[in-house]
Amino acid sequence: MTPIMRTIHWMNAICMVVAVATGLYIGYPYYQTLIADPAVNKYVMAWNRWAHFIVAIIFDVTAILIGYLYLFSNFEKPYKKILPTKKNFIEFCEVFFNLITFNRRKKFDSSHSDSYNIMFFTLFHVLLVFMLLTGLQLYVHGLASGHSSIGDWWPWVLHLSTDWTLSVFGGNMGVRIAHHTTMYLLIMWVMSHIYYQIWRTIFWQEGDIAIVFSGYKFARDRKKDK
Amino acid sequence: MVDSQDMVKKVFTQKSARIDTNKGENYYNNLFEKAKQRLSTLKKQAPLKDIDMVDVIETEGINRRDFMKWVSGTTATLMLPPMFEPLVAEATELMNRVPVVWIELQDCAGNSEALLRSASPTVDDLLFDVLSLEFHETLQAAAGHDADRQLEDAVEHFKGQYLLFVEGAIPMANNGMYGTIGASGETFHEHLMRMSKDAAAVIAVGTCATFGGIPAAAPNPTGAVGVMDLVKGKPLINIPACPANPANMVGVILHYILTGQVPELDSLLRPKFAFGYRIHDNCERRAHFDAGEFVEEFGDDGAKNNWCLYKVGCKGPMTFNNCSIIRYNEGTNWPVGVGRGCIGCSEPDFWDKYAYQRPMAGANIKAPTGGVEKTVDEFGLGLLTATAVGIGVHAVASAVAGKKSEHNEEE
Ligand code: SF4
Ligand code: SF4
Repeated sequence: MTPIMRTIHWMNAICMVVAVATGLYIGYPYYQTLIADPAVNKYVMAWNRWAHFIVAIIFDVTAILIGYLYLFSNFEKPYKKILPTKKNFIEFCEVFFNLITFNRRKKFDSSHSDSYNIMFFTLFHVLLVFMLLTGLQLYVHGLASGHSSIGDWWPWVLHLSTDWTLSVFGGNMGVRIAHHTTMYLLIMWVMSHIYYQIWRTIFWQEGDIAIVFSGYKFARDRKKDK
Repeated sequence: MVDSQDMVKKVFTQKSARIDTNKGENYYNNLFEKAKQRLSTLKKQAPLKDIDMVDVIETEGINRRDFMKWVSGTTATLMLPPMFEPLVAEATELMNRVPVVWIELQDCAGNSEALLRSASPTVDDLLFDVLSLEFHETLQAAAGHDADRQLEDAVEHFKGQYLLFVEGAIPMANNGMYGTIGASGETFHEHLMRMSKDAAAVIAVGTCATFGGIPAAAPNPTGAVGVMDLVKGKPLINIPACPANPANMVGVILHYILTGQVPELDSLLRPKFAFGYRIHDNCERRAHFDAGEFVEEFGDDGAKNNWCLYKVGCKGPMTFNNCSIIRYNEGTNWPVGVGRGCIGCSEPDFWDKYAYQRPMAGANIKAPTGGVEKTVDEFGLGLLTATAVGIGVHAVASAVAGKKSEHNEEE
């Protein structure tokens, strides 16, 4: 992983923790304010919303960056791994078999991101983009006047890109529910992701976890090992 | 360039995209001229009902100053600049020139109630006396065949001119046999179609008529739908809420009298002047929302201090309506003002999706699958648990298999 990719990775991770915590608060303000100050000084919900929107915007930007790298990266172009070619399909299945046969079968090159990983990674970003679109639709409700501090173009863009969610999910409550449901899918994804990376680190013994810290893992040449 | 931009905008954005509160001098000058002309032609027409608005207002003890106050308020509500005030006043006095036919379908008559109930009438209420209500089952004296005849006469006489107000949903299940009208046994559906055919515009009032409302709540045994699902090819205005606010009904009629057109509508055909903002945007408890001060339970200290009702289920942040601005019952109060959260009565599917006294996460209503949001949360938590269990099983299995594996050099 290049430094940019690592930065994005950790930024995403932090953003997600913040987004989930504040999102849960917004949906159901689960902690009561403890400070008995006059209302205007506390702004608990406002701070939660603030944090939620800020990380959402960071997510937005990284999503664009990742989308760019996905297609035009100088190193590996991930999209090539999800094209429905025979090679990719076999690789995908092999990695999957590796997982379900508990690493008894490893007939693929583990020194690069494989098809399975990229699929998994793509799914995550699709979910993320979905979160952004539904979230922005919910957000633009607050800009019903059609004006915003940065100009009228901003709500306009939001409507343009997200109003379809209203028809798809049957109104703004439907969008809210979809946004909320997808959060669970994302948490599931993260759980599986962390597990898989640790699992690979342990069973492949190639130091996979190190990828996100130092940028590299060492991939052993199996034939030489034998 | 501008044209293609507009086209793209039309194709991709729903009409709810924005409220234009200032459309520029040209637009308003044009509209002003148009309205002036329209009012002068209306003035030449004989009144349908011989009631003089000015008289009515005076006998009810509302003085000219109060009336003008109401006029400027209404002008602002309609999002028109102050120069329209004299025209609005004039339009009010000409309300008896526009025939209105009001039909009731599958409903509780709550909308009729709303406009009838008032301790001391406001201008809005009085307008309904002046208004030429040619037909209204609940209010009129005629019954039976007389009523039928009255309706026929009205439709015949005012073909293409009357405003058709529809209150109530339309039951479609079982060939519409859940609701029939009159001796002919005409179904509500047939009745609506026949009445709307010759109407100048159709105005669906209340959430039942607009989105099916409570009759359409799950499991919707009568197959209730709203007017917008059936009536096509006619100007149609939705004024949802349970009941619809009389001020919004009057606003729509006034707008029609003034301009001969329907007001600007959002994607759900609701007039933007009334449904352009959320309850939450203008709520008096908003500061408490931002501060994180919530009523936890009805009657607790937070409730006594007028804190925000979000945690006891207020759906104000998701609901478009102007209750928090114009309120109900002569502007005395509104649900949130009396300490009860908004249940989103002006949104589609409100009974299934909004009408519970908990925020999403605690929703526990008998909607499909026994509470939509509650199901989501429980399902989500279940999924997470299943994922965790799956991971655990796989991890243990891997550890066991790993020990046996010849690949594992550590053994
Ligand atoms: S009471 Fe409802 S509308 Fe008012 S601030 Fe709270 S959530 Fe918003
Ligand atoms: S506050 Fe909400 S529930 Fe009450 S009338 Fe207004 S929109 Fe309906």
